[in-house]
Amino acid sequence: MMIAMLSFGVVVAQTRVITGKVTDSKGNPVPGATIKTKSGETVAADQNGAYKINVVTGDILSVTSVNFATASIKVGNSTTIVVALNGKDSNLDEVVVTAQGIRKKSRDIGYSYAKISNEDVNVGRSPQLAQALSGKVSGLAVYNVNNSVDPQVKVVLRGYRSLTGNNEALVVLDGMQTTQTVLSIINPNDIENVTILKGGQAATLYGSAGINGAIVITTKKGEKGKLKVSYALSTNFDQISFLPKFQDKYGNGSHYANSYGQGGYKTDYLERMKDNWRPFENQQYGDAFNGEDRIIGRVLEDGSKNILPYAAIKNTRSKAFDIGNTLNNQVSFQGGDATSSFYMSLENNRISGIVPLDKSDRNSVRIASTKEYGKLNVGFTASYVQASYDRTSFDFYNDLINQAAHIPLANLRDWQTNKFANPNGYYNDYYNNPYFNKDNNRTKYTDANLQGNFDLNYKVSKWLALYNRLGVMNNSRTQKNTTGKFLHSDWAKNSAYVPAPWDYANDYDGIDRAGTDNLGAVSDYTKTENVINNEFQLRFDKDFGNFSNKLTLGYSIYQRSTKEMAVNSNSVVVPGVYNVSNRQGELTGGESNTMERKYGYYADLTTSYKNWLIINGTFRYDVTSRFYKSTRPTSAYSYPYYGVALSFIATDAFPTLKGNTLNYAKLRVNYNKNGNDNIPLYGLDLNYPNGAGFPYGNAVGLTVGNTSPDANLKPEFVTSYEVGGELQLFKSRVSLDVSAYTQTSKGQVLTVKVPNTTGFSNLLINVGEAKNWGYEADLRVQIIQKSKLKWELGVRYSYNDNKAVDLYPGINEFQLGGYSYANTNVIKDQRFPILKTDGYKYAADGSGMRLVDPVTGYPLRDVSLTGRGGTLPRHIVGATSRLSYGNFALAINFEYRGGNVIYSDLGRQMTFTGAGKWTEERTPHVFPNSAYLDGSGKVVPNTTLQAQESEYELWVSHYRRISENFTTPGWFIKMRDVNLSYNVPASLITKMKIFTGASVSLYGRNLFTIVDKSNFYTDPEFSFTTGNGIGINNTLQTPPTRQYGFNLNLTF
Amino acid sequence: MYKKTFIMKYKSIYFIAVLAVIGIGCSKSWIDINTNPNSLPSATPSFVLTNAMNTTTTNIINANETGSYWAGHWTQSSSYILSPETFSYNFTDGNFNYWDGLYDNLQDYQYVIDNADANDQKYFKGPAKIMKAYIFSALVDMYGNIPYSDALKGAASLAPKFDDQKVIYENLIKLLDEAIVDVKATAFASAFSGADIIFKGNATSWIQFANSLKVRLLVHQARVAGKEAYITTEINKIVTEGSGFITNKEVGVGGTTFYIATAGKTNPMYDRWAYDANGATRALARFPRPAKYLFDVLIGTDDTLRLKRIAYAKGGERGATPGTSNSPEIIANYVGVPFGVSSGYTAPASSYIGPSLFVKGEFGRPFILMTAGEIQLSLAEIKQRFPAVTLPGTAQSYYEDGVRQSFRALGVANAIANANTLLAGGKANADWAASTDKLQAIATQKWLALVNFSGLEAWTEYRRTNLPNTPQASTVTGTKRPFRLFYPNTEAGSNTENVKAQGTVDVFTTKIFWDID
Repeated sequence: MMIAMLSFGVVVAQTRVITGKVTDSKGNPVPGATIKTKSGETVAADQNGAYKINVVTGDILSVTSVNFATASIKVGNSTTIVVALNGKDSNLDEVVVTAQGIRKKSRDIGYSYAKISNEDVNVGRSPQLAQALSGKVSGLAVYNVNNSVDPQVKVVLRGYRSLTGNNEALVVLDGMQTTQTVLSIINPNDIENVTILKGGQAATLYGSAGINGAIVITTKKGEKGKLKVSYALSTNFDQISFLPKFQDKYGNGSHYANSYGQGGYKTDYLERMKDNWRPFENQQYGDAFNGEDRIIGRVLEDGSKNILPYAAIKNTRSKAFDIGNTLNNQVSFQGGDATSSFYMSLENNRISGIVPLDKSDRNSVRIASTKEYGKLNVGFTASYVQASYDRTSFDFYNDLINQAAHIPLANLRDWQTNKFANPNGYYNDYYNNPYFNKDNNRTKYTDANLQGNFDLNYKVSKWLALYNRLGVMNNSRTQKNTTGKFLHSDWAKNSAYVPAPWDYANDYDGIDRAGTDNLGAVSDYTKTENVINNEFQLRFDKDFGNFSNKLTLGYSIYQRSTKEMAVNSNSVVVPGVYNVSNRQGELTGGESNTMERKYGYYADLTTSYKNWLIINGTFRYDVTSRFYKSTRPTSAYSYPYYGVALSFIATDAFPTLKGNTLNYAKLRVNYNKNGNDNIPLYGLDLNYPNGAGFPYGNAVGLTVGNTSPDANLKPEFVTSYEVGGELQLFKSRVSLDVSAYTQTSKGQVLTVKVPNTTGFSNLLINVGEAKNWGYEADLRVQIIQKSKLKWELGVRYSYNDNKAVDLYPGINEFQLGGYSYANTNVIKDQRFPILKTDGYKYAADGSGMRLVDPVTGYPLRDVSLTGRGGTLPRHIVGATSRLSYGNFALAINFEYRGGNVIYSDLGRQMTFTGAGKWTEERTPHVFPNSAYLDGSGKVVPNTTLQAQESEYELWVSHYRRISENFTTPGWFIKMRDVNLSYNVPASLITKMKIFTGASVSLYGRNLFTIVDKSNFYTDPEFSFTTGNGIGINNTLQTPPTRQYGFNLNLTF
Repeated sequence: MYKKTFIMKYKSIYFIAVLAVIGIGCSKSWIDINTNPNSLPSATPSFVLTNAMNTTTTNIINANETGSYWAGHWTQSSSYILSPETFSYNFTDGNFNYWDGLYDNLQDYQYVIDNADANDQKYFKGPAKIMKAYIFSALVDMYGNIPYSDALKGAASLAPKFDDQKVIYENLIKLLDEAIVDVKATAFASAFSGADIIFKGNATSWIQFANSLKVRLLVHQARVAGKEAYITTEINKIVTEGSGFITNKEVGVGGTTFYIATAGKTNPMYDRWAYDANGATRALARFPRPAKYLFDVLIGTDDTLRLKRIAYAKGGERGATPGTSNSPEIIANYVGVPFGVSSGYTAPASSYIGPSLFVKGEFGRPFILMTAGEIQLSLAEIKQRFPAVTLPGTAQSYYEDGVRQSFRALGVANAIANANTLLAGGKANADWAASTDKLQAIATQKWLALVNFSGLEAWTEYRRTNLPNTPQASTVTGTKRPFRLFYPNTEAGSNTENVKAQGTVDVFTTKIFWDID
């Protein structure tokens, strides 16, 4: 013993070599794991998990690898150490990239966050990151507001805080503040992981930009080890999952019969329906289909007639769409040695859409590398993405539903060669051939995104490191919108006629719509955006006794500039040449430039007492150009804010709590107050823009701006509180994470509507107050954990609500957007946005009966708009199942959202055209559940009074105009994504000697969607805007689709 | 000792490095970039006035449209679904909001009035005041009590109180007096004629417009009890002033020196209801239709020459020979649409708005704010009702001149001779001598003189005189007609207390003060 002690003294400075192997808990090798010693050596394990490293006795080996918990092993006397890593069952020591790139251990974090791995992102092989995140994080709502080859999303964390300002989460890419554009263009396979920082505390360090939480994306930097080449191919089909419900009983017609009260009114509704039929109508209020041959449209110049059976064609509208296709090819290279790593990927993603001819093509390249030079760590990432889109700018969907069910739309695609499809011969007097309009109205644009980061980390001493990261981003769009020239023939304009026996006395000659020639148009648009962001940090890490401390002091500079230019011509002289020079008349256009700058100082201190009580304080001081004027006091444009978070690990503080049931318990609580420079750029100025249309040649015209800025405008503040807890039970096989939070946003910079009689329409002023609160729970259960069979279930629930506490004195509500008859609003003391629509007049006796006119029997419309409910879902549930058996794995994600209402303008439109299934009751009938008031004002239930012209007027003039009819609950259940994969066994692969790994999978997205039974219209997620006023959809979103496909992964 | 120097040395390096980086941000000049590069920080009155005049046209076109329907001049074709707001009077405070646009327009005139002196452009004040009076009178005629004295003050009065409509009318006469003084005080400089897209710097025309506007305001009050002395005094003041009224021309904005063949820069009437800048027919050309009753009145007095100027035959204008109809121009092809009918009159089967407003290619016609015929017919009514006024002519002479001016304004060939034929044709409400009810003749001819040009004024005159006896909308049972518009919900939502103070507005019973029955 004595000798041993002595020899210890001698060998302390001596190094020796040990060898070993890194394995997973089952003993399979873990290639590429990083092995570090306390004395400063770092090596990587090879392909078989083997490693060799210099150690000193008493050294501690720290072994890390992606997807495994870090293991620490004390080096004894043995020369061989096998390190078995535990899977990520326990994420207690997981390192999380938090705000400003500060890495923290999970247990030290005093607020709610979520980390999504590459594998979770890619379940459904979505080429779009935002969509891939849907339903996978509690508190996160991804609104897929539009469905096209360039889908639009709105990403919101924990609901709305701002009444009128931005509510969307910040996107941080490798530490750099970027924009939500990144979510649609980044190759999801390049992502190492995504950390979602949900609350205010998480994002205090990002300044104003992080007020709505942050999505922190970390890309792959390459795994150490020998060169690894991966190839992946995915291809999937995109198919309409549902269309609005159509009627298939009645053909084209409108109100041609003499109306009630007019001379010649026919009492037999069947006679009126016959009178209403016309071969050129867009509306579908003709007589019932009977299978006989009838003309559509008029006689063409060459005398030909398009005579077709008057009978519905099954699925004529859905056949008008194509089956879309996505093809994604990508290859990546990675590798490295003990001190360096690199990663490079190339991707091509091609989409052809469900709207014929619509397509997109994305090419991206990303390179990243890290290198250690002793105390200096250098890294960079650079990516370039170019995405081109070619779409119709026309409302194809709207035109489709304006065609009757017996029109063989799919046969009318070739308008260039088919005379009945050509605008000179197309049957419809009001709506042109949708295929012509689609082809003739195009928007083509290319988005290019160049982004790069360069970071340096210099370890000055054991407890101090110096860190600097410079990020740049350039986004550009070049866009050309074109409308082709088309001049109608004189025959079409004036002479095309309806032949006997289909003509009526008051018919006219010439196709009504042909009167308007299309002279073509070209508009050319470019936009560039440049962002520079530099972060300089001093990172201190020092323990004092039982206290371990980490302090980051930072300095941030941010600059963003944009430039937009547009030139338009409203004519095309030579058809097919789309250059603004090929025009008659003036060029129009404009220019817009912006520049904003900010700088800030921040500090982040984390002190941990015995690893079970951790306090984290943050402070930031910002100076922003948005509020700067040389005449304003410093306090008007610079502002401090701060936050504090506390974590308490009960199971470590009181080890007796730990047992077979409970193995980890943590409580967390935080408070913070964040400043936000939420003001429109240049919002401090009253300006004098050009009057509408000016200049007119040499005539100049200016107007006084409509928004008067308050002289005392200053940044607004958001105060947040959050409490939460984490529990891990049964050896971490069950884990539960819960949070509750509330956020109050005071002094919101609102554009307040003031009376126009003041001369201004709006005042920009700090007035609004809004409150936002909610609860979240994440439960994860490893039901089966056998060597071959594994099954894990996860359920995430979040509840969020908000309230507009205060608006401007005297103002109780204002509108966010929408139609005059259905719009979204902010109303004092209510949640926001609130959908308001006009509706039925109900009997005052509380019976719920709808009042009808006592003479005509038509429902009465209550013209004042009534609140119908909030448009943001209150409840979001995500559910995940992961099942694996040997080399097979099945992952499924579901999402439910509910507790909101939506308005579908589609319904109103389809009532107008008579395409909607709900308009099918055309026989004279008593309006359901109705009553009328007798002479004395008494409510009389209506059992006998039929709506006068149930075959037309009831629907078009009455039912259509009651927007309550098209307001439905917004809940849905979607199977977000599903993936069945098979890993080709290593035994097979090694025989082939080409690959080191191979897997195939079948996947799907949105395979089914369940919506409320009263929602006949469309996907409740869709919205006409990506602004705050979501909850209203129309025909500008293409129909909802499902995707299913096949994926192949190979590694070499 | 060694260790400490080591740290000291590095400390100073970090310190310098940190300072270097922070140094950029510390300077105020680095963030002094908050000046809007896209829009001007100030404006001279001349540029603001030009835009204001042009904006008046794009605002008043909307009020004129509704006025044209409710005066019975126009209705809609059944190629469009019938608008229940207009033709069943089924409207709310969310419809027909002409208020916001007009007050926005007024702000620009007020800016000119307030800043003309400081910019040494005094000559802009008079015309700006006249335009201000023109718009305020239109607002009173649609809404009654409105903010006037407290309006247009920006943040100084965020909830403008409403003034009594009768008092506003009196103040508008005073404002026009001031304007005339301003016009006479400072000669128009050449800078003015460039900015003035109405009279191109003609001071006399501006005074005549002011006088004409006074006549319009005064004749509106002709049936209000106890106003006789006031009207007589004010008319006599105009006679004494001596500049007279607009004659042999219309008050028009723009014209060929202003409008150009570019989208959105043609005459706004032409742009909306006829053709685009390149001559393609507007879809909305199929919407408004001359009413059948209008044709009946014209045919009843054999006034087919004006009819053929007011309307094109069914099928509209022949593009190849602008100014002529597609169908033969015989009376049988002039198909007016019964007011508010919901079916049976598609666009191609009925008459279009005629060449008095629209001829293909003539996008540069002035936008008419007021016609000379209207004023002559107003003078006829004043002379007929108040013979004591010192107006030099007789009621008959003003009446007949009004009809001749109408023929001229509509572009009837040989206007004077043809007007004289009508005036001597022996038909009641056309021939003065043959008209037993002179006031009815004046009202009928004024109603015709306002067709296509001054829809809002025609509706005002209809409400004031209940003449002519235009038919009720086909879709409406009973006799109710709107007497005014609702205060718009934008004002009610932001100036709530002051709007509430005006009491409950029922558009079918609450009348404007000059509407006595």
